[in-house]
Amino acid sequence: MKARWGWLVVPCLVATGTLLFASQAVFLRISFYRDRGFGRVEPDVTLANYLRVLQDPFYLQSLALTFEVAIAVLVCSLVCGCPAAYILARMRSRWTPLLLGAVIASALVAEIIKVLGLVVIFSADGVLNRSLLAIGLIDAPLRLLGTVPGVVIGLLHFTLGFVILLMFGVFQTIPRSLEEAARVHGASRLRVLWRIVLPLSLPGMVAGGLVVFNLSMGSFTAAALLGGGRILTMPVLIERTMVLETRYAIAACMAAVLMSSVLLVNVAASVVLTRRRAGAVA
Amino acid sequence: MIALYGFLFAPLVVVAGASLAGGERPYVSFPPDRLSFEWYGRIPARYVESIGLSVLLAGATAVCALALAVPAALGLVRGRFAGREAVALFLRAPLQIPFIVVGIAFLQLYYALGAAVGINPRGRFVGLLLGHVFLTTPYALGTVTAVLQRFNRRLEEAARTLGATPWRTFRRVTLPVIMPGIYAGALYAFIVSFGEVPVALFLANPRVATFPVELFGALQFDFNPSLLAVSTLILCLSLAIIVVFQRIIGIDALLRATAGRDP
Repeated sequence: MKARWGWLVVPCLVATGTLLFASQAVFLRISFYRDRGFGRVEPDVTLANYLRVLQDPFYLQSLALTFEVAIAVLVCSLVCGCPAAYILARMRSRWTPLLLGAVIASALVAEIIKVLGLVVIFSADGVLNRSLLAIGLIDAPLRLLGTVPGVVIGLLHFTLGFVILLMFGVFQTIPRSLEEAARVHGASRLRVLWRIVLPLSLPGMVAGGLVVFNLSMGSFTAAALLGGGRILTMPVLIERTMVLETRYAIAACMAAVLMSSVLLVNVAASVVLTRRRAGAVA
Repeated sequence: MIALYGFLFAPLVVVAGASLAGGERPYVSFPPDRLSFEWYGRIPARYVESIGLSVLLAGATAVCALALAVPAALGLVRGRFAGREAVALFLRAPLQIPFIVVGIAFLQLYYALGAAVGINPRGRFVGLLLGHVFLTTPYALGTVTAVLQRFNRRLEEAARTLGATPWRTFRRVTLPVIMPGIYAGALYAFIVSFGEVPVALFLANPRVATFPVELFGALQFDFNPSLLAVSTLILCLSLAIIVVFQRIIGIDALLRATAGRDP
């Protein structure tokens, strides 16, 4: 009886496996083909695309920009999301479910609709600039559309909800009694946060941080629309190379480079985490 | 906290508010000087069509993703076979691939299929469906697995002892208990499929385009306030769906599902 349960995995494994291997094999093979432009590739295997993407400052800058944006989003969403999640996890109020529900709802609304709202807010004569000008905080309209901060804010909007929900789950598993015990023994609130809450939630923060990093590295919608064609992160550049320039082999190569960088960071993070955990046990 | 919620909801409020602005001017004004629903009457037919396609696609995606994920979750949680951990890791692999890469990889696959056997699923419903099922199955697998892991097998043993057949046990005991995971998985699959741009952008064509792809194109090339009106309708619909789901499966299950949606 027990042995039979295992077979239920097969359909899913076959479906995911076929689609994964077929699509990856085709696109990775094309990334090694010679690119003739205008949607034509020549099927002779060469490293030329990779050499070009990894040497040309244009592509390297785009890769560096993608990392910068992703790291900025990662830091901002942890800095904003963790305190909020901690407050939500520790407050004993009948409003908590409503507040959590609001975060879930905002996290699940289609990204493109949120981006549309942000475009309206950010535009030169938009709400943000008019209110800031009115209260005299700025003299000239802020330019957020087509700038890196604008893209970071847009991505932050996309990731923040998930960080709050993830970290809420993490903080909930830390028993209140631990913090109370530390307080009884004379630790200040700050010390409790620093010595108890932070170490216990660190693995959760790393996991949440990785999710944000992955989402930001691959984010296309917000970067394309809020960047206004001026902020060329890798996903934006890949789409352009594919659709506007129809250089399929180069686009495939860039996609492969992006995917490998994301995988590399994830593997590195998991290796460091396992080492740490092993060290803590020993 | 107030600032945070303000930040999370400001774009949604602005979209809804600006959609109500009256007047002939084809540009956005927020706060609106005068309220009217006139842009709602001028929603172009192609957006309505694309919404129909998106709803159909997202529904079909949710059904297919669950049809794959529910048995797989049962197999992963209850099966005892070598390499189970590796299989679980492998089935989560699509989550690690950036969406844009999935899009480009599937497009190349479809071109290759077209060249090899003459069937190019690009710009067809089935092409979009395959891509979205690939994307969303890991989410559904995550939510169902999370519920199954906490499932108490004694309940099933009790049912069997009392004379229920295995199928009856599954239908009357197991299924109701794992239902929250199934609902949450369906919700996620639907939401991801319904809102996603980078994969559909590559797999759609001008005749068969999902709503986010239409909206993306319009935002880049021809903006029109009726977009705000459509978006507001979608926004209200999504919020209503999410509230209904929160009522059905409870906020805790939805929360666990959200938190457990990534490895």
